[in-house]
Amino acid sequence: MVKTDFLIIGGGPAGLCAAIEASKRNVKTLIVDEGVELGGQLVKQTHKFFGHEGFYASVRGFEIAKRLISELGENVTVMKQTTVTGIYEDVITAYDREKDLVIEIEPKYILISVGASERFIPFENNYLPGVYGAGAVQTLMNQFKVLPGRRVLMIGSGNIGLIVSYQLLQAGAQVAAIVEIADRVGGYQVHADKVKRLGVPILLRHTIKKAIGEEKVEGAVVVQVDENFNMIPGTEKEFAVDVICVAVGLVPSVELAHMAGVKIEYIPELGGYVPYRDSHMRTNIRNIFVAGDLAGIEEATTAMIEGRIAGLAVSQEITGQNLGFELEKMQEELIEFRSGPFSHKVRKGLERFFPQYVRDYSKNSQRDLGPATKLRPIIECYENIPCNPCQTSCPSGAITVPGNINSLPVIDYSKCTSCGICVMKCPGLAIFMVQENYQPGKDLVVIPYEFLPLPEKGETVIALDRDGEEVAQAEILKVVKSANKTHLVYMLVPAGLTQTVRGFRIPQKAHSLVCRCEEVSVEEIEKAIDEGYTDYEELRRYLRIGMGPCGGRTCRVITLGILARKTRKNIKEIGFGTFRPPSMPIKFDSIIKGEIKDEK
Amino acid sequence: MKNEYRVAIIGGGIVGCSVAYHLAKFGESDVVVFEKDYLSSGSTGRCAGGIRQQWSSPHNVILAMRSVSLFEKLSRETDIDIEYKQGGYLVLSYDDQEAVQFEKNVQMQRELGLDVQIFTPRQIKERFPYVNVHEVRLATFCQTDGHANPHLANFAYARAARKLGVDILTHTEVVAVEVLHSGFKLFTNKGAVRSQILINAAGPYSREVAKMVGMDLPTESYRHQIMVTEAVKNFFDPMAISFSGNFYMRQTKHGHFIMGQGDIDEKPGLNNNVTYKFEKEMARKMSKIFPFLSKLRIVRHWSGHYNMSPDAQPIIGESPKIEGFYYAVGFSGHGFMLAPAVGEAIAQLILLGKTIEVDISELNINRFEKGIVREKNVV
Repeated sequence: MVKTDFLIIGGGPAGLCAAIEASKRNVKTLIVDEGVELGGQLVKQTHKFFGHEGFYASVRGFEIAKRLISELGENVTVMKQTTVTGIYEDVITAYDREKDLVIEIEPKYILISVGASERFIPFENNYLPGVYGAGAVQTLMNQFKVLPGRRVLMIGSGNIGLIVSYQLLQAGAQVAAIVEIADRVGGYQVHADKVKRLGVPILLRHTIKKAIGEEKVEGAVVVQVDENFNMIPGTEKEFAVDVICVAVGLVPSVELAHMAGVKIEYIPELGGYVPYRDSHMRTNIRNIFVAGDLAGIEEATTAMIEGRIAGLAVSQEITGQNLGFELEKMQEELIEFRSGPFSHKVRKGLERFFPQYVRDYSKNSQRDLGPATKLRPIIECYENIPCNPCQTSCPSGAITVPGNINSLPVIDYSKCTSCGICVMKCPGLAIFMVQENYQPGKDLVVIPYEFLPLPEKGETVIALDRDGEEVAQAEILKVVKSANKTHLVYMLVPAGLTQTVRGFRIPQKAHSLVCRCEEVSVEEIEKAIDEGYTDYEELRRYLRIGMGPCGGRTCRVITLGILARKTRKNIKEIGFGTFRPPSMPIKFDSIIKGEIKDEK
Repeated sequence: MKNEYRVAIIGGGIVGCSVAYHLAKFGESDVVVFEKDYLSSGSTGRCAGGIRQQWSSPHNVILAMRSVSLFEKLSRETDIDIEYKQGGYLVLSYDDQEAVQFEKNVQMQRELGLDVQIFTPRQIKERFPYVNVHEVRLATFCQTDGHANPHLANFAYARAARKLGVDILTHTEVVAVEVLHSGFKLFTNKGAVRSQILINAAGPYSREVAKMVGMDLPTESYRHQIMVTEAVKNFFDPMAISFSGNFYMRQTKHGHFIMGQGDIDEKPGLNNNVTYKFEKEMARKMSKIFPFLSKLRIVRHWSGHYNMSPDAQPIIGESPKIEGFYYAVGFSGHGFMLAPAVGEAIAQLILLGKTIEVDISELNINRFEKGIVREKNVV
């Protein structure tokens, strides 16, 4: 039996923030979490967060997790790889997967912050391997570094669908298309723009009809829908993909709350069935609190604020301290964040529990594109989302997000020093820099870039517009590497394209490799033969063919073929070289271990 | 192939190609190189590529210093990047007597103008933290020592020589030589050729080639094994070597570690096989001295030959008995690093009757009549 003052079920953003507040006030706290590491969904998020500095705006999700974990005090105990399996009348049980045993827990207060599970949709053959939820794709790709496939069809254009598409592209996969049943993109426009300028089409008013394949996904059929979301026959399109990623929303995981006797209500604006709670995150049961996606599907920043509120409320009761001021501050943060249009649904849903307030925000976006002779930022941020790192990072005070954080940024070009920090910081990658007539006939465009490899100075690349269409050739002027991994690529484009070019692509070198270990191409071998290296062994020594780990298993024969063709000799007349041991790479350690075993 | 050349060279390794290149560079391009197999197929293409000036014999130091100044120019001169790096040679001593000798050597080397330092084990650790200095007495270090890619250096000389008009014939084996009243007649598998001058640069086959003109060269070839690991990021600048510890190792430009040792049980003779015993001994010894190696994998293991002379110093010069017969042999494992200076010296000897930059008169065969002073700095 484990006794604790405060049990937190689920160590994601909400649970961690609650634990931080409790541990600051010396409340004995236990976090029970299913994952191999704390952080919940944060550990899979490689994009920069929106919001303001107080809640880690412009920091990447997995880094936020690290920071939160580092703030946990000594009075916080953590059980990882452990799932709370029941809230019984007498006790709470948790199954420790590593030790393979069930633990009993007796807490005074409980925060249930278990998050949500993925919504799924039925379609023909959706049981085939290769159909994934977006969370699974993120876990595989971002946490365990395994790419689920080469070519992906994304279902859903909410923020998760858009973000995961972008991450798949970063990881080297292709995204064939993003399919959205509604007539507009569900997520933030800045997220949509990021994938659009990489050439990924977003098909509005479309849905998936079926997966193609016998044993695994080999393709998908997508179909158009009418205004009532009925499929329109004859509009089917086929995509050759090996992964279908479903990102159609989340459902709060209410099981434990319901077992504990918490009142569950159906509020579609909050994601379906949700637990009742008040503005301090307390449910109808005095000592049970909820926070994060379980309390209503939203996003990580508000989950962190709700977690802090729950942590403060519990601490106040356990320690008897008056935390009214701190609680008030957090309530104000929530109002601040939820004042924008994207929070409309959440506010409407929460109205069912307690009144909601909003703060005014400005809808005036930057219209003036600034003086053409100056290198200056162009802010393409047209939606009122709660975010302001452009303002707070600007060292010269040129950018302002007036009033509420949901306001649109405006820039005073006379104060701007062209430093580029806002371009690096913007979580939506929605700021670019331009300068007309940088050189005669050439304009300068600066792009925020989060892909590898980085282009090199002087390299010729293909400039792309906002839809990922090729518009011109561009020359890389310089690359400024940033610690936050949003690098700045300065490129020269033909004059007149500063408001057109918003991305680029590094042209693929069209060469076929003979030796894949050492990356030696047909052209290089032919050139070396022309230079007079006409022996296999000479070529090997000159170009390193076959010197890699495979020892020439595939390239030797191909090289001999090229040699025979170029020297007009029969392949039998050409020496095929030597085979050297070991036939596979062998560790020093393995040799030593074998020898020690022999001696025994 | 013409019927007649002024100079014929036997051996398309780096020594033969360097002699050919220097002859052509000094104006004599009526030169042919006979290579029985392919370029760098003998000792050059099998060696580790070290370039060292720290020797116990002054002749070797002088020759090596001249070689270094030629290596420094070679990539530029031939337009082939030979991957030359002056990362220094760290010579580790595990033996008290040797350590005393090292101090004497360093004095002699410094007198000859070489910048050599002596490191205590602590200083070694400070400068090369990845070396385990357990039982190390001291080390000597010369920054201008280094290494290069032997294949590319060999090809660089060959290509530059060809550009200047030299004929380099591969898969052309000289099977017999007739010593004429003036000059030589060479019988190859592709026909007969006459030459005024004949140069033996046949590396491991030097003794056999000398026999063709009736000369007995006191050289013998011994197998030496060598291996290379997979590539890792470059961090290891010097060539590390030890005579008392019996090893050498360096990291190539491409990130591979290449290393070897000598074997006192080895019998003279030509043998290109490899033994697992070598890998076992190397694995144990090297991962103790360089602990980072233990997780690295060996990708290739081969062998080559040291063409040994009685005193482990090269035999270079014109035969006192057969006019026009020159040799540059018996390099005892150090032909690659000495090839630039030796090529230059032989070319000068042939064309001018004397050398300019270095005096090699003490390196001719008649030195053995006076007795043998053996070079000690050999793995």
